[in-house]
Amino acid sequence: MKALGIVFRKELREILRDRRTLIAIGLAALATPTVLIVISQVTAKTATQTYTVGYSGDIPVGLDTLLSATALKLERVPDPAAAAKKQVDLGVVFQPTQIDEYYDPSRQSAQIADTRLQTVLGQYDAAKAAAALREKGIDPALLSPIPLKVHPLSSPVKAAGNAFLSFFLPYILITMVFTGGLSAALDATAGEREKKTLEALLLTPSPRSRILLGKILAVTTISLVSAVAAIGSMLLTLSQLPLLGTRVTLSPLAAAVMVWLAILLAASFSSLTLALGTLAKNFRQGQAFSTPLYFITIFPASIILFIPNFNPNLAYYLIPILNAVLVLRDAIVQNSIAWPALGVTTASLLATALICWFATLRLFTREALLIRS
Amino acid sequence: MSPAAVTVDRLEKTLGKNRVLRGISFEADSGEIFGLLGPNGAGKTTTLRIICTLLAPDAGSVAVLGFDTRKAPEEIRLRVGVVTAEIGVYARLSARENIAYFAELSGVLDGELNRRVDAVIDRLDMGSFANQRAESLSSGQKQKVAIARAIVHDPEILMFDEPTSNLDVLASREIRDFMVESRERGKCVIFSTHVLHDAERLCDRVTILHQGTVVASGTTADVRGSHRDLEDAFLELVE
Repeated sequence: MKALGIVFRKELREILRDRRTLIAIGLAALATPTVLIVISQVTAKTATQTYTVGYSGDIPVGLDTLLSATALKLERVPDPAAAAKKQVDLGVVFQPTQIDEYYDPSRQSAQIADTRLQTVLGQYDAAKAAAALREKGIDPALLSPIPLKVHPLSSPVKAAGNAFLSFFLPYILITMVFTGGLSAALDATAGEREKKTLEALLLTPSPRSRILLGKILAVTTISLVSAVAAIGSMLLTLSQLPLLGTRVTLSPLAAAVMVWLAILLAASFSSLTLALGTLAKNFRQGQAFSTPLYFITIFPASIILFIPNFNPNLAYYLIPILNAVLVLRDAIVQNSIAWPALGVTTASLLATALICWFATLRLFTREALLIRS
Repeated sequence: MSPAAVTVDRLEKTLGKNRVLRGISFEADSGEIFGLLGPNGAGKTTTLRIICTLLAPDAGSVAVLGFDTRKAPEEIRLRVGVVTAEIGVYARLSARENIAYFAELSGVLDGELNRRVDAVIDRLDMGSFANQRAESLSSGQKQKVAIARAIVHDPEILMFDEPTSNLDVLASREIRDFMVESRERGKCVIFSTHVLHDAERLCDRVTILHQGTVVASGTTADVRGSHRDLEDAFLELVE
């Protein structure tokens, strides 16, 4: 196994001297906090933003105070329906027997203003109805014969934070593990061919399987460093920055699951990208091969976004990447591990790494490898 | 009489649809410079690649110091050093690190490593740039790195495949001097080239390939025969 260590050390030394790779890792570590800071500021701004309601007619007594308290600014306009298209966020016509609302659903500001208006009107209606009943000596509790009392089993704010993490973390993990080692993987395969060092390397008496393992280990290491840098900076930012009304933190259990999955994913991706690099004639062709693969890899993370309550049976955990996303989501949201799911996921990702390694080895021992170069 | 260092026997090889070698045979001995000559596409590089076990023969056999290329490829790679026209080196490693990497992969033990690397740097007069990154070296200096990595494990057989084709006059001369020096050390030097003047100056024996077959073989003087030089002899053989 000595050749493995020799190749590992040399590859790592070359990677650490490659300014492109170091810059990519540094940027990855900076990019996530930057995105989070922007999200936090936009969220805060959206929550406190005042929206304008263009109205005509007479405002019911007291409603104007309620609307102002909800950051809805009233502005009299001649034609609320026309004004709602561009001039104001909402148009409202107050009539004696009803209120007409005009808004453009394609405008986000109109959607938010609409939600606020509906809430305020609901509260106003309830208050008016209660007052009317009291005037007639009737208990307003009559309006809600079966009162609902909510008992959240966990903090709703914390749950919102976990839901955010359960999407964002797998996405960052997969992206960084894949892209962090990509340049190194292509350099270690297509790059050898392009630099004309491949023949000299294959001429050494070291077994090719060990040479490949050394390369896989180096690429896996740099993928992990890249992922840890990005996720570490993300978690640090989340712990300092109030997002969704709370400081989001990762539980120790979820952190442990994440590290384990990162290792498995890095080993699989390293083998896969090395296989692609071995197929490529040069670095640029390797990059072209990898682009579709990147979109395939981030697709499972998107499933969580589009189907938040996706709870598949154990067979789904055989699907590489999707399984990692699901296991990590469960660990974050439920703060528990479904051991059978983790077992199947581990076996699946290890099998993927082995198959890719074997495929790369086959490619590495084919005569075509030299003839094509 | 000791067995030949390299024995090629009725070797055949097809790459894709191209029948590159059509049953060639020759022997190369220790302590000689053996020329493998022929125009581009004659099959010289393919022959060398089979000898050093990068490619497998379709038919025929190759023995290197008694080891069959099919049965003992790793034994052969331990005993062979190859220098090609492609002077690819790891740009982000220094010249010394490049040499040490190949020395380690070729089985040079830790205790021996620095001594071997230093020795080869001295021998090739590389001291002035040994610690520079390869990306900053000239073509001639890179070629020296390529030679150093091929000989650092002290192989008994050295193969040079068009080693001077990318080099200037001075660097080419250094390579030729190195081949002569290696012969004097008792190595078997196989020199593949299409530059027949170079071969005539250096080689003790030559084999000329043309379209995958041997068209002439023997001492340089025998092959030249009554012709003015090897080039004239070659032209008569292939016309």
